[in-house]
Amino acid sequence: MEQRVTVAIIEDHPVVTEGVASWIRSDPGERVQLVQTARDLTGLATGPQPSADVIILDLELSGELVTAQIPGLVAAGYRVVAFSGHSDPAIVMETLDNGAHAYVSKDEGSDHLVEAVLAAAADRPYVTRSQARALLADQRPDRPTLSQQERQALLLWFQGMSKASVGRRMSITENTVRQYINRARAKYAATGRTASSKDALLARAIEDGVIKPGEIVPYQSFARSAPDSPSPGAPGH
Amino acid sequence: MTVAQPTTVMSGRYQRAFTIAVLFLVAGWHLGGAGGQLLHNRPAYGSFAFQGAMWLVMAVAIAAGSVQVLREAPGWRWAWAIALIALAASTAAAAASPASQMLAVEWAWGSAGWIGVLVLLRRRFSELAWFLAAEAVAILFVQVHDGLTRTDLAGFLALLAWSTGAQVAVAAGVRALDVAAGQAAAATRSEHAARERAATAEIIRTARHARWLTLQESAVPLVAELAAGTADPGDPQVRIRCAVQAARLRRLLAEGDEVPGSLVHELHASADVAERRGVAVDIETAGSLPPVPGPARRVITDAAIAILTVARSQTRITLATVAAGIAVSFVADTGAVVGLPAASEGVAIEHQQDGGMFWAEARWNSG
Repeated sequence: MEQRVTVAIIEDHPVVTEGVASWIRSDPGERVQLVQTARDLTGLATGPQPSADVIILDLELSGELVTAQIPGLVAAGYRVVAFSGHSDPAIVMETLDNGAHAYVSKDEGSDHLVEAVLAAAADRPYVTRSQARALLADQRPDRPTLSQQERQALLLWFQGMSKASVGRRMSITENTVRQYINRARAKYAATGRTASSKDALLARAIEDGVIKPGEIVPYQSFARSAPDSPSPGAPGH
Repeated sequence: MTVAQPTTVMSGRYQRAFTIAVLFLVAGWHLGGAGGQLLHNRPAYGSFAFQGAMWLVMAVAIAAGSVQVLREAPGWRWAWAIALIALAASTAAAAASPASQMLAVEWAWGSAGWIGVLVLLRRRFSELAWFLAAEAVAILFVQVHDGLTRTDLAGFLALLAWSTGAQVAVAAGVRALDVAAGQAAAATRSEHAARERAATAEIIRTARHARWLTLQESAVPLVAELAAGTADPGDPQVRIRCAVQAARLRRLLAEGDEVPGSLVHELHASADVAERRGVAVDIETAGSLPPVPGPARRVITDAAIAILTVARSQTRITLATVAAGIAVSFVADTGAVVGLPAASEGVAIEHQQDGGMFWAEARWNSG
């Protein structure tokens, strides 16, 4: 068996921490190992090496939103999966823009959290319905252009269909549905502020054939094409 | 408060017309009356140039006063500044007139009084009275200084009666017309309000009648059947019919609520009955939704009621903005295909059954 993915939970409500821990324990393949829990970000070990592959981060700790702390965690080498009761699309978009790999609302936790952690550990996109909702609602002027098919797949997924049903509806395979949704997510990794986690997501998406480097270039913001900034098309990994 | 707007404007328009009438009167008097007298008595003055200059000063005062009153009622500073300039100019002109025939060749008294009427027109009446009195006292003072004979006093009193009387009469007349215009505006306002109340009552009555008709068609026969015992409450079909009618009643109530996001509000109301039955209903929106007209909302909520009534344990309702409108979708564990309302009012409905899960989407296009 491959090495298990290590995870830390940052959550100020012990009962939620306990619930998340039980989802991790009840994963049939026992693919995830819980190595640390903390009630705030100061409790996180700050050594030269990150103490876990992935952090499950509650976005509201002691009544304060911590989306602004995500870039720091990403810079320290953590992959962040946000787990939050907030479903406001603006907060979801900010979380992703700050470099979180995925966003899981508390309603979606039991079905999606472990899968999102595993996808994050492999730098693969994982798009929950709440994330699809935020992408559909996005009206910012610098948003990436999604194709008709990508939008339709995101819409049907947001509406609550299973990916197999979305495939039947669109007369495509379930795999292609995943590809459309993941490609939409990858396009977002190429926009907004730069973060190593977003570069890693893109690199993996290219490697997996989800997106071609040529599909990314037009979405790069001119504002960030300074000579020393890493090109999203060729991340430094 | 909004109904007061047009009538206030109307009464303001009348007042402006009265102001313009007074303005023409004052300018006409200064040009024709005072100006004519000045030219006619030209040889009598010691210095015609000085009299002409005073006439021009008062003409400028009239122009400044006109600008002030046409803009809006001038404040006391402007009004009194102009009035006092006119008073000073007229007194100077009178003082510079030949002593023996001052009252005969005096042209400025009338103009000064009219300027006072113009700028003090919409201020307290006592202010105008004080001004006219000051003007009369100033002229009398000049006359006393020149030497006051019995004939002079009689002439002074005659002039006073004539000119001040006319000025007070015009000021009082405008005041009365202002009051009349205000009353007319108030009458229009109350008539407008009454019409609006009647229109609102009619809208409410029509809405009630429409609701009553809707209930006549559907809920009343069901209640009648239940009362007569021809419908068995134990029959699952009858229970479904009851649930549909209960949901429709709730929607009818919700339709009357004027809230932003009426469609979401009505969907919540439609979901209420299913939620009481233990169905978990989840309503989510993506994007800022466009307003949907009432008839189209009804087609969409009809579809919602049809699905919610047969959902077993869960229904997810989503609203998303799409290219030219809105896509409202339903995913529910109905177990079977649900009969949905036909496409109408710009709403197209599609559905798909996958195992126990039923998906339907109602798309309304604004185009």
